[in-house]
Amino acid sequence: METARHILTSFEDALDNLRKDVLMMASLSSRSLENARKGLFDRDEDWCNTVIADDEEIDALEIQVDGEGMEIMLRFHPFASDLRNVIAAMKTSVNLERASDQSVGIARRARKLIALPLMPVTSRIEPIFNLASSVFNDSIKSYADNDIELARTIKGRDKELDELNREFADSITEMMPQNPDHIRGFLELIFIARCLERIGDQAKNIAEDIIYAVSVKDIRHSHAAR
Amino acid sequence: MQTSKEAPEKMTTDQSISPERPDFISVKDFNFFYGKKQALHAINMDIPERQVTALIGPSGCGKSTLLRNFNRMNELIDGVHHEGDIRILGKSIYDKGIEVISLRRSIGMVFQKSNPFPKSIYENVVFALRISGTSKKSELDECVERSLRGAALWNEVKDRLHESALGLSGGQMQRLCIARAIANRPKVLLMDEPCSALDPIATVKVEELIRELKQQFTIVIVTHNMQQATRCSDKTAFFYLGKLVEYADTQKIFSNPSEKQTEDYITGRFG
Repeated sequence: METARHILTSFEDALDNLRKDVLMMASLSSRSLENARKGLFDRDEDWCNTVIADDEEIDALEIQVDGEGMEIMLRFHPFASDLRNVIAAMKTSVNLERASDQSVGIARRARKLIALPLMPVTSRIEPIFNLASSVFNDSIKSYADNDIELARTIKGRDKELDELNREFADSITEMMPQNPDHIRGFLELIFIARCLERIGDQAKNIAEDIIYAVSVKDIRHSHAAR
Repeated sequence: MQTSKEAPEKMTTDQSISPERPDFISVKDFNFFYGKKQALHAINMDIPERQVTALIGPSGCGKSTLLRNFNRMNELIDGVHHEGDIRILGKSIYDKGIEVISLRRSIGMVFQKSNPFPKSIYENVVFALRISGTSKKSELDECVERSLRGAALWNEVKDRLHESALGLSGGQMQRLCIARAIANRPKVLLMDEPCSALDPIATVKVEELIRELKQQFTIVIVTHNMQQATRCSDKTAFFYLGKLVEYADTQKIFSNPSEKQTEDYITGRFG
């Protein structure tokens, strides 16, 4: 059921602008992750540099969202769902900014890998990348659509991502004694996998916050997915 | 509750009395009419002892009407009648044995516009006692100091008790009215938008006073200021078109109300 608009149009506009800025941040963060993927797998330094450069815009948006959220609370004293949505927006922007930082981390490591000879084992990280991207993009979608059913799937998939990361790190570590010349590259790959695992954590946080904003259920630190 | 043959009950301020009753004031199937117009519809609510209960809702929703029924003030209006019951400490306020004047004495009331009498500060506070026949100076003096301290006004006026109350500031006048209301040691304190005519500093002083007074009195407050309701009250009742839409702990009402109407009102989507 569509919610009625606020009588105070300035309040309605402020909430709309806050939401739009968070969605803009989400879009930029998602794009950064995708660009980091291209930089890594296409061995394209330009994409890596783009990710690093674009992070500045995402950082600026985080500050802007915080300011807008504070102003809404100061001016309009929101209650109930409005208050939860403002807080969810501010928390989501923090998680998006951190996810973007992880993309920057991937891009920096990818640049170092590009400087090294091609390592076929790099392709093994692709399933982790795919899952991390999927989880992250779905967390953004759950925020955009207030879709708590989609949000509830994130926690379990993040656990899967954690497991993939562990398996990957173990398998790469096992290869090190036999391939001492590639240790530097192996380490970069392990760090990249770790960045992807952290992106999954940020996605989980976003999902938990949207579940709370919509249903007032706090599922943080619980073992159940629901 | 005083009957026509009994002496008025005195309220103790002893903190070690029995635990608070959740139904200190009990409203049962209460309907109220101004002539043919029904202003309250089937109200059922229990107001707990020594807590602050806020009544909120858009203008004309019946919250002040309900408030004025607790001390039967509405009966001063021609053509009113009611159905259902209101009980205080289990006794109906409409019992045949209840003397309305005594009922009103046992329930203090503070209005939106402070209304000190054109008398001295001292005489304002002791007015009700003098009416009931108290004349002993020591008793009157004790009442004045106790009530003015209770209203957080003593230190500001103790050196000018015999000056006119009309020389006080707006906030001081309202606190004097609160002192006057609690002078007779009522069981209940009714407040109808007590801060709406006050500046922000006077408002917070009255709100702080309300927080202290609830240790002794059961307080029901009508307010249009939802932030005030969240700051001051323990429970909140939302009214709309004469009906009680939702009644719950204040924290719940303002963070996660059960009714969409309540949510729409407190978030400013209608009103």
